[in-house]
Amino acid sequence: MGCQHLEELYELWLLGAVSEQGSMDLREHLARGCPHCLARVRDATETVYLLGLAAKPARPHPRVKAELLRQISRHAPSSALPRK
Amino acid sequence: MSELLPAEELLARVAQHDVTALSALYDRNAPRVYGLLARILPSLDAAEEALQEVFVRLWSESPSLSREGKSVAAWLVVTAREAAVVRLRALRKNSSDAGPQTPSANVAKGSDAGRRKSKATARVPSAAKSPDGKTEAVKSRADDGARPPLMGPVPLACLPQPKEITLIDDRLALLHKAINQLPKPQRQALELAVFGGLRESEIAAAMGEPLGKVRTSLRAAVTFVKHRRRAVCGTWAANI
Repeated sequence: MGCQHLEELYELWLLGAVSEQGSMDLREHLARGCPHCLARVRDATETVYLLGLAAKPARPHPRVKAELLRQISRHAPSSALPRK
Repeated sequence: MSELLPAEELLARVAQHDVTALSALYDRNAPRVYGLLARILPSLDAAEEALQEVFVRLWSESPSLSREGKSVAAWLVVTAREAAVVRLRALRKNSSDAGPQTPSANVAKGSDAGRRKSKATARVPSAAKSPDGKTEAVKSRADDGARPPLMGPVPLACLPQPKEITLIDDRLALLHKAINQLPKPQRQALELAVFGGLRESEIAAAMGEPLGKVRTSLRAAVTFVKHRRRAVCGTWAANI
């Protein structure tokens, strides 16, 4: 598949909205290291980032962070842990 | 002290197993990541699970992300969205195995009320607790390996640089204003893709429109947003 056929697909591919076949074609094309398409996908990632930010920010409950840090701390060297 | 450091400096410290730096990155980014997850996933419990999963992944993938000099904010948003859609699709598959559902109904409405979903019907499989009562965000990633990839991980080379993301962040209000100019059918199709996790054919079914029409709408919507982004961020001039 040529680059010109992929031009409109990058953002929708990043969003997971294209068909299985379209997604596979694009993955295979990128795996061949096409510099044009890699640059375009990088540009498309900025658009996907922007679209993701259309969701209204919300503050998670503090216990979520506490649980996360407990999980992480089990794998961290003791010198890396936050000071109390 | 960590609160004052640039995100990429914090990321470099996370790559050195600095939990304080991860805590600072969490404080800075969790509201927007959680807001995105809560918009996509059917329950707040599921959004919280996914939020932990994303930051656990950041912890483990920070060395390569930092080495490549990519934007941590972009990585978080793109990764969070993918993680949420993978969970949502797994949930839908389980629901469809159990009986007929209309999974996109809430998202199609696009309202806060529509997004406030029933926890009783919307548990994701990965929300299970381990015997010690801890959540299993890490395990859920291992389970994901058995599922078909959404689109495959975004290659690090395709992630934007921090300065490119700063341009977007600095102009976010204007960019959102531009997105709101999309014609309603295009915006609805795009929302079903971004927040509903639906493919083109599923969007066509949800909207009751022919696939060709929806495909055209989606491409037009994405092109519109891309052009406005480039214009607002200074790639070329345009009237918003």
